[in-house]
Amino acid sequence: MFTWPLDALLIFMVGTPAVGWLVHKNGYQKILGIYASASLLITAYFLYGLYKEAAEKGIILIVGQLPFSPPLGACLEIDMLSIFMAFLYIIIGLFATAYSIKFMESDSGLTEYYTLILGMIAGMIGIVFAGDFFTLFVFWELMCLTSYALVAFRKQKWEPIEAGFKYLVMSVAGSVTILLAMSFLYGMTGTLNFAALADGLTAATSEGWLYITLALVIVGFGVKAAIVPFHTWLPDAHSAAPSPISAMLSGVMVQTAVCALIRILLLVFNSAQPAWQMTLAVFAVFTMFGGNLMALLQNDLKRLLAFSTIAHLGYIIFGFATVSQDGLTAALFHTINHAIMKTLLFLCAGAFIRQTRTRDLRKLRGIGKTMPATVVFFSIGTIAIAAFPPLNGFWSEMMIISAGVRAEMIIFSTLTLANMALSVVYYFRLIRIIVLEEPTKVAKEAIRAPISMLIPLLILAFLCVFIGVYPGPFIGVSSKAAEAMLNIEAYIDSVLGGL
Amino acid sequence: MIPLNYYIACAVALYIIGMYCLASKRNMIKLVMGIEILVNAAHLSFIAFSAYRAVGYIDPLGHVVVIMSIGFAGCVTALALAIVTYAYKHYKTLDVRKLRRLKW
Amino acid sequence: MEMDRIGVVGLITTVFAALIFSTLIVEYEFPVFKYADPDQPPKLVENKTATIGQKVSQFLWDYRVIDLIAQAFVLFAAAACCTALLRTEEGKK
Repeated sequence: MFTWPLDALLIFMVGTPAVGWLVHKNGYQKILGIYASASLLITAYFLYGLYKEAAEKGIILIVGQLPFSPPLGACLEIDMLSIFMAFLYIIIGLFATAYSIKFMESDSGLTEYYTLILGMIAGMIGIVFAGDFFTLFVFWELMCLTSYALVAFRKQKWEPIEAGFKYLVMSVAGSVTILLAMSFLYGMTGTLNFAALADGLTAATSEGWLYITLALVIVGFGVKAAIVPFHTWLPDAHSAAPSPISAMLSGVMVQTAVCALIRILLLVFNSAQPAWQMTLAVFAVFTMFGGNLMALLQNDLKRLLAFSTIAHLGYIIFGFATVSQDGLTAALFHTINHAIMKTLLFLCAGAFIRQTRTRDLRKLRGIGKTMPATVVFFSIGTIAIAAFPPLNGFWSEMMIISAGVRAEMIIFSTLTLANMALSVVYYFRLIRIIVLEEPTKVAKEAIRAPISMLIPLLILAFLCVFIGVYPGPFIGVSSKAAEAMLNIEAYIDSVLGGL
Repeated sequence: MIPLNYYIACAVALYIIGMYCLASKRNMIKLVMGIEILVNAAHLSFIAFSAYRAVGYIDPLGHVVVIMSIGFAGCVTALALAIVTYAYKHYKTLDVRKLRRLKW
Repeated sequence: MEMDRIGVVGLITTVFAALIFSTLIVEYEFPVFKYADPDQPPKLVENKTATIGQKVSQFLWDYRVIDLIAQAFVLFAAAACCTALLRTEEGKK
């Protein structure tokens, strides 16, 4: 079939309803959660084996049946970027699943919940492994469908249904735009394989239809990647989803869209590079401003964190828009850091919300006095994401700005620096409200979070500090992934080389 | 044969009509129909290109993409209608402009 | 069909946009398969209604096996989504 990690995850996804049916007694939720976490660990083990194989071979190519070869056949093409992103997805998925063992214990339908989480992670891994545009689209649909149902999971309240419907309509419009762009690319070259498209379209330097297709691709992926005119689904969906799902949506799903967008732009639209580079940089600046300015006005904890996600995506897209080894390394390193910090923040917010049943910041004042452990982790996450020196956010944000300056985009780098300074305002407002004020009546009634919810938070906070103090190996890994991303000739050769 | 440009123009016109439907219709079921129109625009485009690869023959790659994409469109419609059912239960109306409780 | 002023403006804009884009597309040539690789000929199928279904499905199973298996998993996930959304609450509120 496919490679071992993807196979294992899909088979475990299919096996989850069987496990759920077998343990249909009172204490059953824990067993399902433990099964889901164990399946993610087994997938991580297989992925490590794949990493060792890719480290020696460079690019691994998986085709269906050998005489029926790639330019017409579907293929999976795995390079260092794919393995890097897949590890990130599995680790964040593992934290979210371990956290939801205790968090979701009073919800019904847990069998479907764990099935859908495993399906979403499998879809995301498939997107970064795909070597053919239609294979990417199939796994894209897997990720999207599972995320629609997960956002609308607590359907007995009105808010997830409203947020879920708006999210579904906008996201399907984006997917269909991608399909239309795919049809134009097929019309121009007769194939849908990334390597063959890259090879064929290098000659298309001033083709008007290429620019129209470029616009459709940016709009289509931009809806999911929350670029500013198309971001309106994000605050509603991320606040209405259950907290571990918000952590996954915010931490890794939007990054998948950005990564797929950049992979396609670098490979297929290589001949139109100056055009999309400037366009992405301008969109990135709008996204940063939109996210930061709206976050200053929020009173709802999860909506504020969702707007902060939009702002950080602006930084990441700006890092990618510099199209240099430094810029891509910085953007990929910031992807890891943002995923860890944002997951930590959303899981802590989930702990607050579960104990007090409200998301309003004005009612959550001073909750630090009654839930001390959670608040320590929350403060570490907030200080990290506000880019303060000993923690991990500082390194990646400084790397993005220096890469922007080196790529001669001085105005954009200045605006990015201004945005980072602006964002410190609302992060400190969060710390002041949660830690330093006097507890309100609602905050006084909160009890401490249970230990099994605190353990993922502890590990994430430890990672924030560890990456901040010792960023070397992580920057090295990001650098290898960035090198693989920029190495277009190797990509094309590995598919078309033998032909 | 009709020149290919007419088919592409028709596909783009369907896409614009689908976007108009998503932007301006109030009934939620009509929004789901608008999604179907959008998807059919892309399918028409694929089939048109597949037919013009060589005279008298078709290129099966385009047909294969459409076959599988029709399946996805069906899944999305099923999910959308499930959400519309619950939206009706909560809001007692199918008017999408009434779903305004989530603001800023 | 009752529409307020914005609805009428939107309708007129849409009709104009569709007409303008259609005219532009008919005038400017689309580069049909201009960038196709001449060393990789497509696997063409004859356009006869009797055999076309069988030949296209043979292409599907030979060349696009990965997509088909992934689609099977997508359909399973869609069934799980609908079950998740349409589940009944067992008296818990």
